[in-house]
Amino acid sequence: MIRYIIQRLLWGVVLLIVLAVLIFILFRVLPTANPALLRAGRDPQPKLVKEIEVVLGLNKSLPVQCWDYLKEIFLHFDFGYSYYSQESVRSLIAEDLPETLSLTVGAGVLWIVAGLSVGIVSALRRHSFLDRALMGGALVAISAPEFWLGLVFLFLFASDIGKFKIFPGAGSYVGLTSDPWKWFTSLIMPWIVLASGSAAVFARLMRGSLSETMNEDYIRTARAKGLKERDVVRQGVRAAINPIVTLFGLEVGVLLGGAILVEVVFDIPGIGELFYKAIQTSDFPVTQGTVLLGSMFIIIANIVVDVGYAYLDPRVRYS
Amino acid sequence: MRSIRTILAIAFAGSTALALAACGSSSSEPSTKATGASLVSTPGYPSPATESLGGKRGGTLEVLQESDFEHLDPGTTYAALDYPVVFATQRPLYSNKPNSTEPTPDMAAGPPEISANNKTITVHIKEGIHFSPPVNREVTSEDVAYAIERGANPDVANPYLKTYFNSLEGINQADGGPIKGIETPNKHEIVFHLDEAKGFFVAEALVLPLTAAVPKEYAEKYDKNKPSNYAAYEVATGPYMLKNDAEGKVLGIGYVPGKSATLVRNPNWNPKTDFRPAYLNEIDIKIGGSEPVIDRQVLEGTTIVQNEPVPQSGVRLAAEHYKSQMDISPGGGNRYVALDNKVGPFANIDLRKAVWAALDRVALNKERGGEVVSTVATHFLYPTINGFEQAGGLKGPAGPQFDYNEHPEGDMAIAEKYIKLAGYPSGKYTGTQTVQVVGASSPPEKEDAEVVNQTLKNLGFNTKLTLVEVSTMYAKYCGVPKEEIDVCPDVGWVADFADPQTVLDVTFAGKSIEPVGNVNFGQVDNPKINRAIAAAEVVQGKEARGKAWAKIDDELVEDAAAVPFDWEKTARLEGKDVHGVAMLWNEGAWDYSFTSLK
Repeated sequence: MIRYIIQRLLWGVVLLIVLAVLIFILFRVLPTANPALLRAGRDPQPKLVKEIEVVLGLNKSLPVQCWDYLKEIFLHFDFGYSYYSQESVRSLIAEDLPETLSLTVGAGVLWIVAGLSVGIVSALRRHSFLDRALMGGALVAISAPEFWLGLVFLFLFASDIGKFKIFPGAGSYVGLTSDPWKWFTSLIMPWIVLASGSAAVFARLMRGSLSETMNEDYIRTARAKGLKERDVVRQGVRAAINPIVTLFGLEVGVLLGGAILVEVVFDIPGIGELFYKAIQTSDFPVTQGTVLLGSMFIIIANIVVDVGYAYLDPRVRYS
Repeated sequence: MRSIRTILAIAFAGSTALALAACGSSSSEPSTKATGASLVSTPGYPSPATESLGGKRGGTLEVLQESDFEHLDPGTTYAALDYPVVFATQRPLYSNKPNSTEPTPDMAAGPPEISANNKTITVHIKEGIHFSPPVNREVTSEDVAYAIERGANPDVANPYLKTYFNSLEGINQADGGPIKGIETPNKHEIVFHLDEAKGFFVAEALVLPLTAAVPKEYAEKYDKNKPSNYAAYEVATGPYMLKNDAEGKVLGIGYVPGKSATLVRNPNWNPKTDFRPAYLNEIDIKIGGSEPVIDRQVLEGTTIVQNEPVPQSGVRLAAEHYKSQMDISPGGGNRYVALDNKVGPFANIDLRKAVWAALDRVALNKERGGEVVSTVATHFLYPTINGFEQAGGLKGPAGPQFDYNEHPEGDMAIAEKYIKLAGYPSGKYTGTQTVQVVGASSPPEKEDAEVVNQTLKNLGFNTKLTLVEVSTMYAKYCGVPKEEIDVCPDVGWVADFADPQTVLDVTFAGKSIEPVGNVNFGQVDNPKINRAIAAAEVVQGKEARGKAWAKIDDELVEDAAAVPFDWEKTARLEGKDVHGVAMLWNEGAWDYSFTSLK
């Protein structure tokens, strides 16, 4: 098992290096504006553009820039400096990470709890009104983009601009340590909005998987032996949950992608909002740093899933 | 049917009446008549052209803005979004009052003294102006000299120094050290020596924030960093300062990038030396969020304003339910269709005129929000800019030779006439070349691009429309002549100050064509226009300059160098308890030094 974990970790590092190179290339190959030009005013003088390129290190050849970038990241964990604020990207990310963690971890918990609960209830009450209502709701949640859903929630429930003034609105986020209650209430709507899509996917999958499992022979046997229904369901859920665990790693990526939009709509000063602003201003170091960090989270989540799966099913680690 | 002149007279009378009424509580006279700002003010909405400058002292204003500042260093700043903070904290030699485009002495004690040969400018500096803590000492002429000199330091990299101050002696050798053409005979006098007779124009440019004093002994160590981080420690001369600590550090205290900025009163500001009333005690700026939410938060809020141009959805919402809370400012710049004058089909003047004639400029204006925030353009100099009236005002240049400019809804018959003149007897373009059209992918530019593209198709052109992010459109396509983009359907220009040269020079002079970062988007290089521009650059006097540049504007229209379609107005939102005063000269951004709470 330890060998398997080490193997997965090493592959994770290789994947991260490849991703770092790809991200670097992506932001230079795509038709983006020269950051030096963007900083040289509306009537940019060629001499000034050249001078800014030197200051930003853009005068070096692309391979040299790429090598410098990789060296700094993997040897010093240094993502460079923002072209705009001249602040270290590492410190910008470190400053905004708690907000994004607050949002994504909370949404992740809600997603798993709500997704699995709804799926189990629907599977056990198949074809009932409740099942249809829950699955209908899940369909809406899957179809609704986070950006739109966020605006709808704000216009309905925000305490400043909502029709029903229930929850604190956009821009109300405060850190966990400064006011835990305010922190909690300010995140209720963002958590719901961010978790809804993934929770709906999980609910539908869980419903399908559990419905199938509950028709298996061994479940029938368990019932015939007189096992309590609660214990039967527990057995069924344990068997049905395996295929869903594999999806967890992928859904983390979806969650992080959604976090960008949710942070913007709810004005949560996290990494998503940092990334969004960096994209708008061609602030390459910040864009690269945040994308790489997101990639790292997805890789870690997938390693955790792989290891979890290997633990649940030993055949995986032996193959 | 009422003639256009009658409508103008009524509109003018109405807005003048409002302006006069507004003047009751203000000591300053709005200078909007001469520049046409009042002609395009939107009736029924507050406007900086008519706004009262009076107010009540005290309170904290909350400001919401989606985007972060670009630069708050007075030597580097160049964005409309940055200016409200910059001009509340810094005092250039001259400034514009919010309702005016006339330079008013700010750090300067009086008007600039320009020598008879137009080559020397002398400015006397007021006594009793002090830097904010921790510097505290009195401002001298050497601080102004250093402020300008550091603009040439590559690590400060002022974006307009060599555009507007290029006639300063020794400017081409400047690298951050002393500039030969700047002399400080005593503590309160600064003299600019020019090697060309452009004194009047350079004197007008002294309203730019580059001339705001910077204390050398304090800033020099920050300016040695690559790039300079003086902004993280900057001191103020204006009524407000970015909150700082005892060492002067602003970063992380008064300005947290991407999150917030806090302006507090500058304890060393002496109101006797300033024309700003500075009613507010504090200004708290919150950065982030999304426009639709911000719009509603402001409209339903009280002591809050929004400091970015309002998108169409916000304009519609405010126009329907919160009319008195939307301030609309004329003078948001011009928008035009750039046609490649040098290569391709639009090197032919008649084909350019055909596009002009066929284009439905009214439809384009509707895409941009309609008459509340837009006026159909008939020439390039826009309202609030000196020379607008001389260039024909709202109607534009008159005469049968301008028939392609007469029907803003588009006139295919006139368009066909010009296509025939271009050598296509069918009245449709039958050339084989595919026209490259590159526009921006965000609204309303995207919709504008589609309207222009359809117009070209209606005229018989085969087109290839590419839509990209707006900064990419300028930096990678429309600003790079070798890309040979035939049509950039929606480009524009906003003046840095109200002199017409700032609108027409770099955008249409042949000498300004650059291989990258080019802003003469259509590569206009007409010898007759070039000569007229060179002559107008050295003209002295406001009236004479207005006349000279208006003539160039006429020639650009006659040459159909590009197709102007919009004189933009900008909308800003304010909460119920805010008496917002916007800057007429800066796209209607809020002037924090004049804004107050009710």
